[in-house]
Amino acid sequence: MKMNCGQYEEKFSAWVNNELGPSERAEFEKHLAGCEGCMQEFTAMQQVWDLMGEMETPQPSANVQVKFNAMLETFKESEAEKKGTSLKEQLARLWQWQPRWPLAYSLVIVLISFTCGYFAFRTGSGGKQDEQMKALSAQVHELKQTMMLALLENPSASERIRGVSYTSEIKHADKEVIDALFATLNNDPNVNVRLSTLDALTHLASHPEVRQGLIQSIVQQDSPLMQSAIADVMLKLQEKRSVNSFKQLLKQKNLNPGVKDKIRQTITQLI
Amino acid sequence: MLRVKAGDLDRMGLLFERHYRALYGFLFHMTYQREASEDMVQTVFYKMLRYRNSFTGDGEFVAWMYQIARNVIKDNVKKNKPGNTYYDAGEIADRLPGGTSADEGFEKKQANAGLHRAMAKLSDDNREILTLSRFQELKYQEIGQILGISEGAVKVRAFRAMQELKDIYAKMER
Ligand SMILES: [Zn+2]
Repeated sequence: MKMNCGQYEEKFSAWVNNELGPSERAEFEKHLAGCEGCMQEFTAMQQVWDLMGEMETPQPSANVQVKFNAMLETFKESEAEKKGTSLKEQLARLWQWQPRWPLAYSLVIVLISFTCGYFAFRTGSGGKQDEQMKALSAQVHELKQTMMLALLENPSASERIRGVSYTSEIKHADKEVIDALFATLNNDPNVNVRLSTLDALTHLASHPEVRQGLIQSIVQQDSPLMQSAIADVMLKLQEKRSVNSFKQLLKQKNLNPGVKDKIRQTITQLI
Repeated sequence: MLRVKAGDLDRMGLLFERHYRALYGFLFHMTYQREASEDMVQTVFYKMLRYRNSFTGDGEFVAWMYQIARNVIKDNVKKNKPGNTYYDAGEIADRLPGGTSADEGFEKKQANAGLHRAMAKLSDDNREILTLSRFQELKYQEIGQILGISEGAVKVRAFRAMQELKDIYAKMER
């Protein structure tokens, strides 16, 4: 390398990004033409630079968004707790009776499992045992469902989220469960509860009425988070019938600009 | 961010929407751990909420976010046993969704994996500066803010890092 090569090093990045002015660029390239060292060095570096532009990085999973929302919500609750005393009292009161529900739930499950085992042990062989087992597991199932429906009515958002998460344990979600989930998805005041519900419903997307309900829900969501989450879901499900609802959503006046872009992208990816 | 500081915590949701993918990319390139990077995204945003009062408003939100992210990475490295920390970068690249057409896709994937391996061999400082300038497409002035050095120093270091990367990559190709 010649003595004055150093000054071109500084300009390398501007050159490779096409940020040099025309005269500077001409001067830079004139030097390259006359300096074999720089020519070799810089063109090799430029090639690697271009290759880097094509490199792929893994994308974060959808969990990140859900977890963040839950964190934000918890954070907001704890901040609120720090502030008003009346609110603090309210929370304290909730705290007193809330944990009993899940505790009761676990206790009953343990009890039933225990009885189950006891019967299995005692009755020994025979078809009667099967019948009893079936009846018992149906009872457990029903209990879970009752539990879940009760939790969805709970005043605390985190309890409602817990209720929603129980749906993954219910094998055959019936109409009552699905209706309850949609009522939560479309009306719950807390965005995290709605997001978890969306997640739960996505897992039930093999039911045609769930898909239908999700499409109808698009125009009912007014939070940007929900709007973009539901767009992700529709894309994941490749649900082309949602395009009309998205177009309708785009007509809303106060739609968040980021969401608007996302919805447009989703529409082009679906059709 | 100033609105978050003033108490409008929901605004953080929008900032998250806008920046979490880029932040994840940065964390991934610095650690090569997928799940840990997701957790670290969470930690960075938690810290920004928690310490929102320390955001002065001079300078960019993005610079502040990356400053916090760098500290979170340091904490994470301390927690992990050495040797346990890094996956093979090339291996991760191999598993990325590649090109669609067979031949072109394969070649592209090879170059991709090779470059990931070369990147992994860089020193942390050099990989950091290239990640910020090339992948996050930040301006040198912003990178200077994040690293606490002058714009001129960023330029020099970025050039040296590029030179090193090119040499490592050339050696591997041979
Ligand atoms: Zn030269």
